[in-house]
Formats: sequence, C-alpha cells, structure tokens
Amino acid sequence: MAQLNYRTINIDVLDPDSSINFPMDTLLPATLPAPTTSSAAAAVAGEVRQLLRGGDPEAALRHVLDTAPLGGDERAKEVHLAAVTEVLQGIRQGEMSRVLEGVCTGEGGAGRADCLMKYLYKGMASPVSNQTPRKSVSPQNTGFSQIQGRNLGEGGGGQQMSVLLSWHEKLVELVGTGSIVRVMTDRRTV
Amino acid sequence: MSTSLRPYLQCVRSSLSAALAISNFASQTSERHNVPEIEAASSPELLLNPLVISRNSDERTFIEPSVNSVRVSLKVKQADEIEHILVHKFARFLTQRADAFLILRRKPVEGYDISFLITNFHTEAMLKHKIVDFVIEFMEEVDKEISEMKLFLNARARFVAESFLTPFD
Repeated sequence: MAQLNYRTINIDVLDPDSSINFPMDTLLPATLPAPTTSSAAAAVAGEVRQLLRGGDPEAALRHVLDTAPLGGDERAKEVHLAAVTEVLQGIRQGEMSRVLEGVCTGEGGAGRADCLMKYLYKGMASPVSNQTPRKSVSPQNTGFSQIQGRNLGEGGGGQQMSVLLSWHEKLVELVGTGSIVRVMTDRRTV
Repeated sequence: MSTSLRPYLQCVRSSLSAALAISNFASQTSERHNVPEIEAASSPELLLNPLVISRNSDERTFIEPSVNSVRVSLKVKQADEIEHILVHKFARFLTQRADAFLILRRKPVEGYDISFLITNFHTEAMLKHKIVDFVIEFMEEVDKEISEMKLFLNARARFVAESFLTPFD
C-alpha cells in the first residue's frame, strides 16, 4: 500500500462547507448574457472593422464594447480582445478624448467605460504575439558575454502597450479610479 | 523622463491607489488569526482579479489585490546579461534587509524581480498616497540605479583592462 503522509493533506479542501470551497458562481449576476462562441465574436469583429473603415471610430468602439462576450468561452474572448485592440489602435491620438467622451456618455456609458477598462488591462496582461524569443544562453562557455542582438531600448510590444497606456490615462481622467476598482471586483471577466 | 515611462507610471499609480482600498479581515479558517489573504489564498472569494500593467514585454507590474492585502510585483528592465546580474544582486541586497522596508516581500513572485506586500496594517499606520508614492519612486529609482551601476561597471572594467595590459605595452 502506498505510503501517504496524512499530515500533509489539506483537509479543508474535502470539507464542502469550508471557505476554500466557496461557490464562485454565486458571485455572478443572474442577468449574464448568453454564452457566445468564437464564430459570433469573429462576426462582431467583421462588423466593427467595417465601421472603422467607414470612418466612424466612435460607433465601432461603442459596438465592440456593447457586444463583449462576458459569458463566452476563452476562444471567443480572445477573438474579441483582438477586435478591441484593433479598434483602439485604429483611433488616432488626437481623436481619443472626443471618442471616449462619446462612448462613455449616454445610455449604458458607465458600463462601456468599465468594459473598456477591463480590455485595457487584459490587453496589457496578454503576451505580445509578434515577438522573437530572446536567447538567454551565453554564446561563450565562460558563461558571460556582452555580445548579443542590438537592443533598441524597448522590449517587444512597446508600441502596442503605449497605445493601451495612453487610453488608460485618458479613461481614468474621464471616469476616475472607481472604474479600476470595478475591474478588480467584477467576476464577469472579458 | 522618456515619453512612454510617464503613462506607465501614471497607470501604475492609479491602479495602485484603486487596489489599496483594503480593510481588516480576520482569517476564516483559523480562529484568532489574521493573515494576508493574498498569501494564504484560503478562500477564493476574497481574492480580486489581478491586474498586469506592462510597458513592454520585459518591464511590467503585477498587482494582486485581495480583501486585506495587496501584492505588487515589479519586473525591472533587463536589456542584457550585465543588467540581469545587477538587478538580481540589487534585489537580493534589498530583500535581505526587508524588515527595514516594512512592505517589501522577502521573496519575489515567480517571473518578477521584486515584490511588495501591503497589508491593511500598513495602510492604517502609513498614509496611503505616501505608500503609492514610495512604490512609484522606487520604480523610477531602480531603473536609474541599474543603469548607473552598469556604467560604473563598464568604466571600472576598462580601467582594469588598461592597467592589466600596461606591462605588455
């Protein structure tokens, strides 16, 4: 019989009433939208791209935030994140404030602001795709060398991150830090 | 200050001030205990969504908020191997003196160079905006410190090499 050290077992996990087994789905509201699939998210991305090409960035951002897949699977969320990032990068620096004000006012504006804030953090958390893996092994067997690829001062993804950071700054200016608190506490992740 | 550093620090500042809304919370698992929930992770509902703020792929801040504690982890820019060694030594020097820093965590979170653990007792004893200021200032200083150390190191290496090779001249 296998030797088992009973002292190392975390018995709290086995107790259904223990706080570690807190039912997390009770924290989600009942009004959660129906789960969406990645194909639905891709369809939204297509619509949004059309709006963006049509020269209406405000409507594009509004639409992409209204259709956030709060109840979707991981794949749908990823596709939607790509769509949001595309919209954010497609809007020029000078237009940011005007677009944001338009999106964050009116019916459901606060919800859209919170949703945008969620996407800004998610965009910064996701690893940058077009990035060459940095070789960390030294070419010399003494284990130390300064020979390496030219360092351009910025790591990968600096451009995309600076777009997200400037959006974040503008959004905090407009809606305050309360929006960040709602991102942290809201269990409906995007 | 470089143009992309300011929005990065501004973002960390606003996120951190939002995350530092913490209050006293006794442990739910053991009586008369009061532990930082972010470390104990004894109940999932007390941990909030973690935030990552990144300036680029090798410079980022990770904020893990919970009901009574916030863990802030920094990844300092390391452009080459010298900087990697310097950051490691610097972080080691600080963490060995963690008691004097009050909010410094003795061991960084995996994937990061240095971590702070701010509990509700810290926010009660100290001013919240001063804690945020400290973290921001630390982030500014550590970059400066590392590049300064690197310059000194290179200057010294050049001097050593010169005096070593003088007899063969």
